[in-house]
Amino acid sequence: MASVTIRNLSKRFGKVEALKDVSLTIENGAFVALMGPSGCGKTTLLRLISGLERADSGTIQIGAQNVTRIAPEKRNIGLMFQSYALFPHMTVAENLNFPMRMRRDYDPSERSLRIDRALELVRLPDIGDRYPRQLSGGQQQRVAVARALIDEPNVLLLDEPLSNLDARLRDEMQIELVEMRRQVPITTILVTHDQTEGLTLADEIIVMREGRIEQAGAPRAVYSDPATPFVADFLGGANLVRVDAAPTAYNHWRARAPDGTGVPVPSPPDGRPGPAVLVLRQEHVRVIGAGQTADAIVPAEVAAVAYRGQSAQLSVRALGQRLRLVIPPSVRVEAGEAIRVGWSVADSRLIR
Amino acid sequence: MSGRAPWLLRLAAFVFLAAMLTFLLAPLVVVIAASLSAGGYLVFPPQGLSFRWYLEVLNDRRWQEALLTSLIIALMSTAFAVPLGTAGAIALTRFRFFGKSVAQLLFLSPLLFPTIVVAIGLLILASRWLGGSSIAVIVAGHVALSIPFVVRTVGAVLEGVDPATEEAARVMGAGFFQRYRLVVLPQCRAGILAGTLLAFLVSFDDAVLVLFLRTPLIDTVPLRIYSSLEFSPDPGVAAASTLLIVMAAIVVIASERLLAGRRVIG
Repeated sequence: MASVTIRNLSKRFGKVEALKDVSLTIENGAFVALMGPSGCGKTTLLRLISGLERADSGTIQIGAQNVTRIAPEKRNIGLMFQSYALFPHMTVAENLNFPMRMRRDYDPSERSLRIDRALELVRLPDIGDRYPRQLSGGQQQRVAVARALIDEPNVLLLDEPLSNLDARLRDEMQIELVEMRRQVPITTILVTHDQTEGLTLADEIIVMREGRIEQAGAPRAVYSDPATPFVADFLGGANLVRVDAAPTAYNHWRARAPDGTGVPVPSPPDGRPGPAVLVLRQEHVRVIGAGQTADAIVPAEVAAVAYRGQSAQLSVRALGQRLRLVIPPSVRVEAGEAIRVGWSVADSRLIR
Repeated sequence: MSGRAPWLLRLAAFVFLAAMLTFLLAPLVVVIAASLSAGGYLVFPPQGLSFRWYLEVLNDRRWQEALLTSLIIALMSTAFAVPLGTAGAIALTRFRFFGKSVAQLLFLSPLLFPTIVVAIGLLILASRWLGGSSIAVIVAGHVALSIPFVVRTVGAVLEGVDPATEEAARVMGAGFFQRYRLVVLPQCRAGILAGTLLAFLVSFDDAVLVLFLRTPLIDTVPLRIYSSLEFSPDPGVAAASTLLIVMAAIVVIASERLLAGRRVIG
């Protein structure tokens, strides 16, 4: 186990700057998720930490060791690939034995003991002599996790580990990964484009954009207080309204939407008036019935309703643009209907 | 689609294919039939029916020596062509380098190397620097002819190998040679085996290159067929030819199986 310290790391592929001067510290034993849309640099950063790509400039330190110029085979890292990369010509046990055999760790009896224990950890005892093609996708995924963990690497890297599973299995495996991590508390870096995966699994999420870190922090903190419109949109697809904010008496703030509607808003982070972005989470905007109140209420016209069982997604025209709402399925509205929607100021955010 | 074609079109397609196959296979059928003759002349249709010419060929010292020479040349050239072609396939599919697309074109087009040109080139080189041809020169020529086949078969399988498996091995501590020996090459086994069979066949079947580079002491099976036909055309020639046909058929079917199996497994 070890911490990972990255300083001023840059990497370019031809004309594309994949990573621009990124610095980052990952504490010993932390579980960090690198998130962002494809092309944001998250996979490049993971490959640089593994050593499969070489940095153009900057340093990578694992524990006390500067590994920037050290070959991947000497870094003692566990890496799980999106495709699992299990060796098809080897049995499960041979696959698990491979890292120990390459690094000459443990004697043979200890190795087979560790293989048995690893298979128990991923709840697949008795499949040691099967070949990967004889396993289901979920089983292959678990074997890949076990293989990445078996030699007690300093750092565990997971590259889109659940993206090849169907939705139900993915939910199950997310919970299992959390369980497994509790038993093996190793420094872990997860790369994912799936926002729920990052929010569920990690202690800290790092949202990346165009080769830079856009925002880092605890999942709840980043979700509830996005620093930029990009983060607000990437995590949970928040409604973003361009407004012009100004203070009123008693240190309250009001803002004018593009259609001229005025709404109460929280104070901006820098305390200065002017153009800003009002962030309204889909789950925070409600349909306001007769006799109900809210801090901010605006007229709206229903554009579309999508029933989803546990909830319904509503698309309305309000504030001169389209707003998306997640509402309880018991609230019945129809397309074309004129309604009112509202939210509480404490749930909304004003950012630049 | 095919199920819906009008019956007339289907009949036409059937007749056309049957005619094509007759055209393609007629020479083989004639040779096989002639080899089964009981008489003493190489004619079609055969006179009577017997396996006596097979026994004659297999018991003839000159045919036995030709067979031994052919086997030695084929085994030696296969032994060189397979590792070289495999390395070439890895270089072409896994690495980026200057002139790669040209190399790819040359490697992957066996037909760009007319056998006769390779033969003449080697003949000039051998007489200039080696004082004449030898088994080694013939082997070198066969290696040049077989490498593209190995590059093709290994390359085809290598394309289907997940590059992440090599990277995974690397991160798990495997050095360069370990990665290829333990992870990449075992996954190419079917392609290497198919390439081996084809390389062997290319050498064993070759008559053109050997004809140019033979020395008075070198006689291979195809050469012996050629010279027997000139000087004593008996059904033994057809019997030897039939044995070549059978061997070629086995090799082609086996390598097809090997390469098709890859798709099923992969």
